[in-house]
Amino acid sequence: MTQLQYQARGTTIQALLLISICIGLMFVDHRYNHLEIVRSKISLVLSPIRYLVSLPALGGNWVSEWFKSHTELLEVNEFLRARGRILNAQLQRMQVLQAENTRLRNLLGSSRKLANDVIVAELLSVDQNPYRQLIEINKGIGDGIEIGQAIIDDFGVMGQVIHTNRFSSTIILISDPDHAIPVQFIRSGVRSIAFGNGNIDYLELRFLPATADIKIGDELVTSGLGGRFPADYPVATVVSISEDLTHGFASVLSVPKARLGSSREVLVIKVGNFEANN
Amino acid sequence: MFRLNYIVIYLSFIVGMTLLILPLPTWARIYRPDWVALILIYWSMALPKYLGLWSSLIIGLLVDSLIGTLLGQHALALVLINYVNLNFYLRIRVLSWFQQSLYVFVLLLISQLIIFWLDGIMGLAMPIQDVFGSPFVGALMWPFVFFILRDIRRKAILS
Repeated sequence: MTQLQYQARGTTIQALLLISICIGLMFVDHRYNHLEIVRSKISLVLSPIRYLVSLPALGGNWVSEWFKSHTELLEVNEFLRARGRILNAQLQRMQVLQAENTRLRNLLGSSRKLANDVIVAELLSVDQNPYRQLIEINKGIGDGIEIGQAIIDDFGVMGQVIHTNRFSSTIILISDPDHAIPVQFIRSGVRSIAFGNGNIDYLELRFLPATADIKIGDELVTSGLGGRFPADYPVATVVSISEDLTHGFASVLSVPKARLGSSREVLVIKVGNFEANN
Repeated sequence: MFRLNYIVIYLSFIVGMTLLILPLPTWARIYRPDWVALILIYWSMALPKYLGLWSSLIIGLLVDSLIGTLLGQHALALVLINYVNLNFYLRIRVLSWFQQSLYVFVLLLISQLIIFWLDGIMGLAMPIQDVFGSPFVGALMWPFVFFILRDIRRKAILS
């Protein structure tokens, strides 16, 4: 019995020590980013588990591609060719416009380049903290991914990279309750910030004056302020406006353009290729 | 021979972590039991000498990195439930599996409350009724975890 009591007392001191270590770790992790390297190393060790878990999904995709019928493949091929031709045609005009745009901007003396370099990545089907909107992708530091890079899919902005290791990265979606993205209304040019609220279908625009020029159906694009997200990528569409007369603010809900819940393939935009609009 | 037996413990935690990030439909995610905590409770009850508080800290940090919580959040919860367990395991070992399930429910609830509370401090508001789902399913799973791991432990001749 004495041995037991001794052991219990020993563990109490040890437990207090470990709890204070944990509290210290959490404080540093929340406030600063010194621990990013630690997290990256731990995460690297755990990579096999992530790939193991997403193996069935990746394998399933591969099998369903393999067993697609010949005619179906021909159809898809035909469709993609046609689409490629149309896109190429549009691109020709786009290049001319871009050259013109750069020339005019040079004349005006404002330096601003559009980001072009992207990395294609695939989602790993692993679950994360159920109360956050986090996803994992199968590209990491080894493929040139850095913390803070913006993620888009075919339709709009999805989020940004928050953790990365050698083989995979964690993405925070724009709908995460801890995320905010600077946006601009295309029609009126009003700038605002779109906050996530934990619901994958909605973004909230806060602190807009009730008199701001906003309509339902307005399109939101990234404003490029803050330097994280490159400017002019589509973000969301306004679906409801309710005025809070007592505070003089309008509370606006918008639906993200990107398919946050269903996109399997995403594009990572390399930062450093654009400068903030000044 | 001795080191080989240790591998069983590592492997069981790897399986637990795999179950922790296995994709589930969105509505089911809040009911996912904390497998790693369940496995930790078993091993620290069966082999308290091998699974000390430091190991629960390391395992907690692995879990934090795996599911994207703050480094230290799950570690704190696991250290606490392991501490409680290390002080009570002699009394709990002799109970029936049903009574053990109740005990496991309380431990998991403590861990879940700590995680919720820490999230709350960081400003992530979460519906408090969700706190009970995961520990409840965890307590239901306890008999299975217990019997499977006990068989494995006996096969690996760990005592």
